[in-house]
Amino acid sequence: MNRKHKSDLVILLTTLGLMALGLIVIYAIGPMRANVLNTTYGTDYDSNYFFLGQLRSVGLALLAFFLAFKVIPYKFLQKFAKPLLIFALMASAALWILSLANASIVKCELGECRWFQFGSVSVQPAEILKLALVVYLADFLARKREEGKVGDFKEFWIPIIIVCGLSLGLVVVAQGDLGTGVALIAIIFGMLLVSGIPSWQYLTMAVIVIAVGVASVAMSSHRMERVNAWVTTLTGGESSDSTYHIDNAMLAIGTGGFGGVGIGNSVQATGYLPESINDSVFAIMGETFGFFGLVFVLSVFCLMLLRILRVAGHTKDDDNRFFVVGIFSWTLAQVVVNIMAMTALVPVTGITLPLLSYGGTSMIFIAFAIGEVCQLSCYTSREGIKHENISSGGRQRGSYYSSRRRHS
Amino acid sequence: MNRLRILKRVTLVLFAIIVVRLFFIQIIEHDAWVAKADEQHTMLETITAKRGEIYMMDGNEPSAVVLNQTVYQIIIDPAVTPKDEIKTALDKHAKDFITANLDEVYNAEGLRYYIVAKNVPYSNASQIASEGIKNVWLKESNRRVYPEGEVGSTVLGFVNSDGLGQYGVEGSLNHLLTGKDGLLKSISDVNNVALSIGDDNVKIPAEDGKNVVLSIDRGLERGVEEVLAGAINSTAATNAAALVMKPNTGEVVAMTALPGYNPGDYGNVKDASIYINQVTEVPYEPASIFKNFVFSAAINEGKMTPDTTYLNTPYTVVDGNQIWNAEQRAILNDQVLTMREALYWSLNVGSIQALKFLGDNPNEITPVGRERLYQYYNDKFRLGHATGIELIEQEGFIWEPHAEIYGLDAAYANMTFGQNLSATMIQTATAFSSVVNGGVWRTPSVVKGTLESDNSIKPLENYEKVEDQILTEETSATMRSLLINNRSYKVRAGIDKPGYDVGGKSGTAQVIVNGAYDDSMNNLVGSYIGFIAPSGQMPEYVVMVKMWGEGQALSGGEAQDLFDVLSNYVINYLKIKPGGV
Repeated sequence: MNRKHKSDLVILLTTLGLMALGLIVIYAIGPMRANVLNTTYGTDYDSNYFFLGQLRSVGLALLAFFLAFKVIPYKFLQKFAKPLLIFALMASAALWILSLANASIVKCELGECRWFQFGSVSVQPAEILKLALVVYLADFLARKREEGKVGDFKEFWIPIIIVCGLSLGLVVVAQGDLGTGVALIAIIFGMLLVSGIPSWQYLTMAVIVIAVGVASVAMSSHRMERVNAWVTTLTGGESSDSTYHIDNAMLAIGTGGFGGVGIGNSVQATGYLPESINDSVFAIMGETFGFFGLVFVLSVFCLMLLRILRVAGHTKDDDNRFFVVGIFSWTLAQVVVNIMAMTALVPVTGITLPLLSYGGTSMIFIAFAIGEVCQLSCYTSREGIKHENISSGGRQRGSYYSSRRRHS
Repeated sequence: MNRLRILKRVTLVLFAIIVVRLFFIQIIEHDAWVAKADEQHTMLETITAKRGEIYMMDGNEPSAVVLNQTVYQIIIDPAVTPKDEIKTALDKHAKDFITANLDEVYNAEGLRYYIVAKNVPYSNASQIASEGIKNVWLKESNRRVYPEGEVGSTVLGFVNSDGLGQYGVEGSLNHLLTGKDGLLKSISDVNNVALSIGDDNVKIPAEDGKNVVLSIDRGLERGVEEVLAGAINSTAATNAAALVMKPNTGEVVAMTALPGYNPGDYGNVKDASIYINQVTEVPYEPASIFKNFVFSAAINEGKMTPDTTYLNTPYTVVDGNQIWNAEQRAILNDQVLTMREALYWSLNVGSIQALKFLGDNPNEITPVGRERLYQYYNDKFRLGHATGIELIEQEGFIWEPHAEIYGLDAAYANMTFGQNLSATMIQTATAFSSVVNGGVWRTPSVVKGTLESDNSIKPLENYEKVEDQILTEETSATMRSLLINNRSYKVRAGIDKPGYDVGGKSGTAQVIVNGAYDDSMNNLVGSYIGFIAPSGQMPEYVVMVKMWGEGQALSGGEAQDLFDVLSNYVINYLKIKPGGV
């Protein structure tokens, strides 16, 4: 490992900046959200309820971030890769089974049962699963690479298929959480891409996953409806109940214009746009800050992601690098899929916008994950990994993997 | 290729796509989205103008008799509002106003926002609000309140559920009372609650309706109705109507017909004809009251005096019809009588004689006589024509002097004693006022004007006031003396008090049943008209009454009894000072 140096300040600052922005937005639209819920569902939320909730989440996320950054060494995490994954899988399985049994410990919203409720604290096992999968895959891929088993059917693919299949099954099939499913697939694809598997295997995997994905969408009327709604919106068809969410997200973004309507002047947040503080917060930001503001936010995300990628590029240990790429893929997937859904580029999947959306578990875990990345950024080498093989098994470069394969 | 570089490029491409997409939505399509947003966010709401209130006079001060009360609808959301809490609160604070069965409301599938109570007064509504029950809304609305109950319903009318004034002043002055609604255009949230966001909010304030002051005296109106009610109770009459007006100004101070109705509960009547103003909207045959008008015409034309004589026969024949006197007495039949006596005994042969005198031939009705009578009835007294009072009016009917009908002279003979024509009570009383007030026909009026913010009363525009000297003062004075003479026995009987000159004339009309006058005398309408003056002075009030009942014989005598009570009531209530005795 390289000598420790200062962490990547850009990642740190962009993370904190996004959290602060999220707080400001929730501060502005939280009271509207509370009002809408109180009027429509007879709840009794205080106008500061959502802001205080977000403040608490940000506080916990900052704590998680600094714990990951300064206290919990990645090596420690790595040591518990397997137990962590088993725990996460069991938690997801337990959630599913308990939800079937209508247990009171399971919290459901709008028919989706995705949370454990412990008193006033709710935890989403899917978030643990994402982190656990990244940690586990990083460790697994690094070991297989060291063993020269990357791409091996029995030693490599079978365990991957089992672990990933189980994770996706529990999240997508059992809980119906397509958003987390997309994030998991992005993590798997991202990490496998840099794991050194041959291109043909990667492409084959992509074809199979896409085929399964298309089939699962086609077989689910609920998902087909979302796809239809998306196609309708994209082609400018008639509005309907199923296009309401995306129509109003586009309306919010469109009315923002170049400079936005300004903080506190959002009309769409007064109840027209569903999930205005969670999944749709980007649309509200589009209305509030306009094109200028959104490009700024996108730039911040882009900068953060590229810096994370840079950390990966300058990390010598396979294990660490795979981990960083996993976190990168996770973050990228959530940012891109969320925003593309809001702009009708992809169907709505129900995925949060990292660090900005209202919600505790997702922010805490992504903050923790980025904290670990920051920690690892202290151990990068200055010149990057020019000679380290993270490329495909191109023979002329004499890759570690391909040379091993020739021997086997 | 370095696979990290692939990820980097993928990232940049994805972000570039998003930025292009955002540019498209936010810059290129911006105007279209704003237009769509306006459509979704803009709420148009009418600001209802407050309807003007109606005042009667209480002495010299206007006093409100028709008010607006702010009442509330109580709305709940059965999906959310706690049933037990709202049920308890309604039973406790607004039991009388509940309009829905809560059990049914809560059992109904998918029902949201339901009105459970209506017309809840402010105090009750605020008690419910103070219970702090979740998802209970109060919606303000206005209700017309008539604190006088049935009193004055003839003049007031009512406001229907569409907010439109019907009958009475509510109907005739609806345009003044209504005002002009305002408009509120604002950005609103998903539940249609106006937001303070945006500067496109438009507020055109409502112009409230005018407050209208009637010349009706509130206490007198109530008193007159009580006297009428007493008369209905003590006679065969089922209906009675009365009118008290000032002959010198045309102002009506009491106008009523019984039975009335409560305008605040206007829907709860058996027969919608009760809404009709019997004084202004129902032409009828006022009978012998009209003898005043033919006498006035003949005297005014110098064709006769009260002392002019004629031979009074029991009947006279016109166009082959026998027209009989109602009074058949030995002291009258085949006697030479003065016209004063003819009026005193209300002899039909006498009034026909007046028409003959008017036509310059004491022996027969002439075309000139018909023309002159028509000129007086139609042009001068304006009988059969709307008077121009600020109420809904019906006209009436007077035969033209050259009408091509068989028996025109007979018709004219009938017209001298107020049959074979029709006029409303207000037309009759207005004409009578000119007979006794010195000969001036004045447009009657029931509205003093609108009550302005400085408490002054501004006369209504667009209501022309006519003043037309149609009789000489001498004719009028002569007529007053004849009318006072008519009641000389009332003075002797002590009914008409000393210090006051009360003159009057009764009328008993046969009613047309199945197209012909009912000669059975079982179906009669009794009327009486008179004036009240301090002795030796000009009349201050004209009082007219009418009594009737289907299939009932109500004579002018019974109407006269009612007038006797009423005239004394008016003298006492209005504290009319007696003249020099």
